[in-house]
Amino acid sequence: MSDSKTTITVWIFALTLLAGLLVLPQLLSYSQREIAVFLIINVLLVVSYRLMTLTGEWSLGHVVIMGVGAYASALFSKRLGVPVPLSMFLGASTAGLTAVVLSFPLFRMKGFYFLIGSFAAGEVIRLIWKYFTFPFGGAKGLNLIPSFPDIGWISFFDPVNYYYLCLIVVSVSLFILYRVERSRFGLTFHALHWQDKLAESVGVNTFRYRMLAFTLASFFAGLSGALYAHYIGTVNPTRFDVEEMVYVLIWAIVGGTATFYGPIVGVVALTIVNDVLLRALGFDTIRPMIYGAVLIASVLFMPDGLESIFPKLKRLMMGRKTEPATKSEAGEIP
Amino acid sequence: MNNPTRKRGMHRRDFLSSTAAITLMATTSWPKVVFGAEETVKIGFLAPLTGPVSAWGKPGLDGCQIWADWVNQAGGIMVGGQSHKVEFIGYDNEYDAGKARTGAAKLIKEDGVKFIMMLGGDTWPGVQPLAANENMLVSTLLPSDLTPETDMLIAPCEVHPIYNVTGVQWLAENYPDKKRAVICAQDDALGKPSVATYLAAFEAAGIEVVDEPLFFDPATTDFAPVMTRLLSSDPDILCLDTSYADYVHPLCEQAFQQDFKGTIISCTADFYPKIIEKTSKEFMEGFIFQFPDFDDPALNADQVNFPRPNEFYAEYANRYGEAEWGAVSWEYASIMDLWADAAIKADSFEPADVLTAMKDGGTGKHAFGDADWWGEELFGINNALVGDWPVVVIEDGKAVIKEYKSIPAWWAQHKDLLIKHFTDLGQMWNQRG
Repeated sequence: MSDSKTTITVWIFALTLLAGLLVLPQLLSYSQREIAVFLIINVLLVVSYRLMTLTGEWSLGHVVIMGVGAYASALFSKRLGVPVPLSMFLGASTAGLTAVVLSFPLFRMKGFYFLIGSFAAGEVIRLIWKYFTFPFGGAKGLNLIPSFPDIGWISFFDPVNYYYLCLIVVSVSLFILYRVERSRFGLTFHALHWQDKLAESVGVNTFRYRMLAFTLASFFAGLSGALYAHYIGTVNPTRFDVEEMVYVLIWAIVGGTATFYGPIVGVVALTIVNDVLLRALGFDTIRPMIYGAVLIASVLFMPDGLESIFPKLKRLMMGRKTEPATKSEAGEIP
Repeated sequence: MNNPTRKRGMHRRDFLSSTAAITLMATTSWPKVVFGAEETVKIGFLAPLTGPVSAWGKPGLDGCQIWADWVNQAGGIMVGGQSHKVEFIGYDNEYDAGKARTGAAKLIKEDGVKFIMMLGGDTWPGVQPLAANENMLVSTLLPSDLTPETDMLIAPCEVHPIYNVTGVQWLAENYPDKKRAVICAQDDALGKPSVATYLAAFEAAGIEVVDEPLFFDPATTDFAPVMTRLLSSDPDILCLDTSYADYVHPLCEQAFQQDFKGTIISCTADFYPKIIEKTSKEFMEGFIFQFPDFDDPALNADQVNFPRPNEFYAEYANRYGEAEWGAVSWEYASIMDLWADAAIKADSFEPADVLTAMKDGGTGKHAFGDADWWGEELFGINNALVGDWPVVVIEDGKAVIKEYKSIPAWWAQHKDLLIKHFTDLGQMWNQRG
């Protein structure tokens, strides 16, 4: 297929997807709209996590960084009276700044050591939230966080309106993350993953690029935290513990991290299975068991993640289109 | 024209895709068919049914099913001149505020429930704005959720953690030689107010807490170092506070393995036969906690308002197994007794009407006896029903009620102590987040 045809196909797909996402809330029940809000926030979280993994480092502190954004945004608005939209940006920036500071100790480590180091750093932050009742609210966290202000008659307490707000914020964020990956920076991140010594030998400052990836990923994770905090109105240290981090890892692993869309497919598929299908089927109390079985099955039978289905489907469809012609050419009876 | 090479019947792929489509439609789109035209009132049950806190959710829903079966067999609840069957709709909130909000939205907006029962704690703030918007009556087991703003939130059964004072009071009266206590709890919204209460109760009873309370992280899985640190102060009372069942069990195992010889006091001892299996009957002898088995003859006392407690326990054991009985197995059902009485009295299921009827006269029929609507000094609102509470001790491998003790009587004597310790740990309603 020529480049222009590919571009047209991509645009058609993107516009169809956008149209689908715009219509989606109208097709859902009230509680499913709530799920859609959290899902779209989690999409940003898991895609930002993927940016981090491009450099080859897997962190166990990403959900805590999301919490930094949530706490900071909540504190800016609740304690200092900063308008919520601005406090969201400040919360995301605080998460990015935290990543800059953490980069110095953490990027002295690599691989498994980085993983453990990121977990330890995250736990330190969580314990600070727990220990200091002022300003963080201690174990009970912060409640009655100001919600996103109404714009005219549009109330953001309504999940449909908040869904559209999140859709705009997350779409812009995903576009930025996509462009970063496709830029010279993104190529360098990949180089650090596969050949960091070689990259260093040609003058790439690996520390700075790792810090850049970590900071960008943390900024957007913080933004997802801010979106969460001002919708739900409460944050506490348990919400950002390692159990939640395991979910992010699962979404990324089941979806796959080789493509931009892999983690998105993972979080969407698993959320629908866990929060819609299994609940609707009345498996409320045995969901963890079935969810676990689905995970094991997907890892066993799709080790490259759900993202590996799409190229196969594409090949299948292309094959079907060309199959009759090939057979005719060969003189076979269809 | 038929293709002769095509097999008869349905292809495997067609079968799978059509089955999946039908399942999806059936589960997500089609309304549930209700046979018959019987009036039904729906009650929401929004609590953790999975995960580490599920011991304080799932057994409660099981108990509610028995309650509903009994009430429905007896003809339902008579309101507006018509009998109404009761249907419980459960939603697993996984002890997460976001899931709790989604669950509340489903229960209120889609299922049309008239009352929601919650465990509370971390999950309540997620529900609060929606409940306030919809004027929905919600109950919690944790009065520490109460604030002056939460006028539609009630704590009509458990006054956690205040009733823990009765266990300490009984311990001091019956074991006057035990004077050295240590306390541990998970570091969360349930653990801290409970620690404040135990500190006040020990101080009131003249028992010294010989080390700083040990707050362990809820993610803790290895309790050996926790217990080693606790026992290093050579205590004769080991207080497990309001630790979740997932912590009480390994803590007891560790105390057993590290040869603790004193008395253990805890808010709960859910599934205690399993703890006895892991330790020994002798080790668990004298374990003090607050939640009786309902086959206890002491529950047939005149003051007890819970109807047919021994039969309820027998039915529960029959349906789910004796070992599955837990602290909350009866609690949500007892809240339903109060709610049903109030609905009949108000002749309405509307939340505001039911609440008014429930609080009429400032008193209510609590499971363990007549009680007062109370809490303004501690929670900023009189929405907690408080009266007597039993002290339970394990004797010969079985939980036995030793005595009912009055919480208001303790409060009248020692309220300054409780307020002091609540304030020190930042647990007063005006100190929270």
